[in-house]
Amino acid sequence: MTRADYFVLAGALLLLPWLYASYWHRGGVGEEVRIVGADGREILASLRKDREIRIEGPLGTSVIEIHDGKARFVSSPCHGQLCVHAGWLHLGGEFTACLPNRVSLAVVGPELRYDTINF
Amino acid sequence: MKRPSVACALVSGLLLALAGCGGHKPEVYKTQLMTLGTIVDISLWDVDEARAQQAVKAVEDVLNGIHVHWHAWEPGPPGQPNLTDLNARLAAGETATVGAEDVAVLRRTQELARAGDQLFNPAIGRLIELWGFHSDDPPLGPPPAPEEIRRLVEAHPTMDDLVIEDDRVSSRNPQVQLDVGGSAKGYAVDRAIDALRALGIDNAIVNAGGGLHAIGAHGDRPWRVGIRNPAQPGIIASLEMRADESVHTSGNYERFFDYQGKRYHHILDPRTGYPAEGVLSVTVVTPDGTLADAADDALFIAGVSGWKEIARRMGVTQVMLIDADMTVHMTPQMAERLRMEIDPPPKIVVEALE
Repeated sequence: MTRADYFVLAGALLLLPWLYASYWHRGGVGEEVRIVGADGREILASLRKDREIRIEGPLGTSVIEIHDGKARFVSSPCHGQLCVHAGWLHLGGEFTACLPNRVSLAVVGPELRYDTINF
Repeated sequence: MKRPSVACALVSGLLLALAGCGGHKPEVYKTQLMTLGTIVDISLWDVDEARAQQAVKAVEDVLNGIHVHWHAWEPGPPGQPNLTDLNARLAAGETATVGAEDVAVLRRTQELARAGDQLFNPAIGRLIELWGFHSDDPPLGPPPAPEEIRRLVEAHPTMDDLVIEDDRVSSRNPQVQLDVGGSAKGYAVDRAIDALRALGIDNAIVNAGGGLHAIGAHGDRPWRVGIRNPAQPGIIASLEMRADESVHTSGNYERFFDYQGKRYHHILDPRTGYPAEGVLSVTVVTPDGTLADAADDALFIAGVSGWKEIARRMGVTQVMLIDADMTVHMTPQMAERLRMEIDPPPKIVVEALE
């Protein structure tokens, strides 16, 4: 083999992990959250950046927190509070909503541990 | 110039093959809608964006149509009579004329109520209203007065009080008020799947929270469904779906209120007028979503002592019932395919229906 062949081979071996990660990696953890508000407006937010998102609905403001790769409803102006009790979401495919305030929260990920959840 | 070596050719080939993976990578299209009084999760396998949007619109139209038409407490839009109009006629002792699809739904509901020994009872709309569950938000309590509950239980409205002749519907019992909340979700989700099939989509899940219908698969593997733990956030078990199946779960956590330390949920026992006790959730798997949806309520109400008898009568064989002590009861047909997802696993009792 020539020196150039070794370069090509070394380059290919270095590329392999990246290709594997890009195409075959099957992690269950989500990368982004999709938040849909009452007006149908959609917000895509990365789970890698901590932040607080406030969404207005017919009843008032729903507050969603993203922290440490997870997302949750911190508060919502409904009296059922099912959305808040759903707690932290982080797996791709997990979702919850504040139905009275028409705000939904879903984790979007590359591969889902469960395709959907019967609840 | 030197001849390219074997190693170089192999590496180039490998790179091309890997790069080829990036061309058309089939994937799942996922979105959520708020309809049927819940959040509906739609998964479509290997459908391009334009067709996916068309499909989601079709599902939304079907679900919205059924939601509005069978709404138990909100009147339909002007010129579109719905269940509230039928209920008003029944309460007035009048005969109502309904559409062919309504007749089919009502007859099917009658059959399911009979099969479920009237534990699945969509004629107790007044009782459900008395408890405050005719509202988008759960009630705050307190529970209704016992004498009010007793009065409605003693009126004993059932689906067998309905008289259906051709397209005419009346009731022998003026206390009958229909609330098809116990089976409409199953019916609606099945119709949504029909709409997807009509568009040529053969690999999909429509999940309206407690009830889903899956067709086809997620590419080369089956669709995977997680079943919620009724006692705490998270998943208790999972199922790999066969080609065409519905999964319906009724739980005491869906709609409820806590009053003076006691939980009052929405699955009312028509024999007592109070929320059924002793069970946290029931999951039923069967192809027909209307049956699965009706059965999960009937089995929930039948409880630990009666669920097997009702499952036999209704013809459902794949059942999981989680009782108030977190003991998981299931049929052998459910046990052979259900995967427990909590550690340590709960106490499991496998009980044959025969």
